[in-house]
Amino acid sequence: MAGLHGSDVPAASGLQTVRDPYSGAEVYVAPAIQPDWAVLHVHEADALGNARIYGSVFWDRLMSRAARGVILTAERIVPTAALARQPELTVIPALFVRAVVAAPGGAWPCSCAPDYTLERAGVEAYLAACADPAALAAYLDAQDRALRAAPAPASGSAAW
Amino acid sequence: MVTAPAAYGPAELMAVAMARLLRDGEVVFQGVNSPLPMVAIALARRLHAPHLTYVNIAGGVDPTPRYLPDSTTDAELAHGSASLFNNEDFYDLCARGGIDTAFLGAVQIDAQGRTNVSAIGDHAHPKVRLPGGGGAAMIMPTARRVILWRAQHSPRVFVERLDFVTAAGNVDRVVTPLCVFQRRAGRLQVEAVFPTSSAAEIVARTGFPLDAARPWPALAPPTPDELAALAAVDPRGVRHQEFRDG
Repeated sequence: MAGLHGSDVPAASGLQTVRDPYSGAEVYVAPAIQPDWAVLHVHEADALGNARIYGSVFWDRLMSRAARGVILTAERIVPTAALARQPELTVIPALFVRAVVAAPGGAWPCSCAPDYTLERAGVEAYLAACADPAALAAYLDAQDRALRAAPAPASGSAAW
Repeated sequence: MVTAPAAYGPAELMAVAMARLLRDGEVVFQGVNSPLPMVAIALARRLHAPHLTYVNIAGGVDPTPRYLPDSTTDAELAHGSASLFNNEDFYDLCARGGIDTAFLGAVQIDAQGRTNVSAIGDHAHPKVRLPGGGGAAMIMPTARRVILWRAQHSPRVFVERLDFVTAAGNVDRVVTPLCVFQRRAGRLQVEAVFPTSSAAEIVARTGFPLDAARPWPALAPPTPDELAALAAVDPRGVRHQEFRDG
């Protein structure tokens, strides 16, 4: 990795250096990070696990390759043929994916741009519920009921 | 002499001072939790640096946001962008020397311009666990130039000794509500005192010794053009957010 020199992070994390055989420089190296699972929310997935993400991908592409298995939650389940028409838009190929969950509104109260944006009041309600296990359980039950009653957030709607 | 009341406070001074540090044509990065850099970049693009390349953590590359959002990871910061950067793209670009100026935040800053964003107290058993560097340990030595900012200026922020060194490297300037520090010969020195502050106040609120050579230069007050441009790019007042959040 480039950088890290002068930081306490390598010592605290147990990172080691090796000598770059080409430049002779001492460089930090990290062992591969391989999570058991990456749970990634996507806009569209087919039943096999091929997935599109519209807008910024952040770390999702990298995490899909790093984890032993990927669980997708998707705003919409679409036919494979719809993805095959423009395969270059498929960010996550099915071969990494072990499960696909239809979860419209699944990123709420966080954002799933361009479908819907972050809802600050919703984040605050979640954080308040997190203070107490019983409150969190009640919060999750209420959200579950609400999602089942009205699964798809309207685009850009303040309600979501 | 009677002067008109100043139409600016610390938020405007910081945004203007940070914008003035940016140069036309350079590649500038803004990361998470960075409202003041976001505002400063928008201001510089509008004023003297229209050809600055603006790369942000929301994936935008020279985006044209319709407004400046509360969150600096908001998708609005990719609006109008003709391409998108994944997070690994940014780190790769920085590692190969392609970022001219990066803005990095800090909880503690020492006289060498090193930062702590990791922990208050012992790292293994901290009094307060902080968010972590988010890559600052890689960015600070590899970006060609780093500008730090902090909306609080106190001896708890500007410390003699960091509890933990999260990142060290190419810090050039530090912008606070009182002044602009410049790093010279490896140590932060006062480059410009804000019109609303004084040398005595800066000394009293800085936890490490400062260069005795006085007087320190004063920051040229924000011009009417700068203040008008600032109001135009940030009508929602996002520049005040870091002061509100304490």
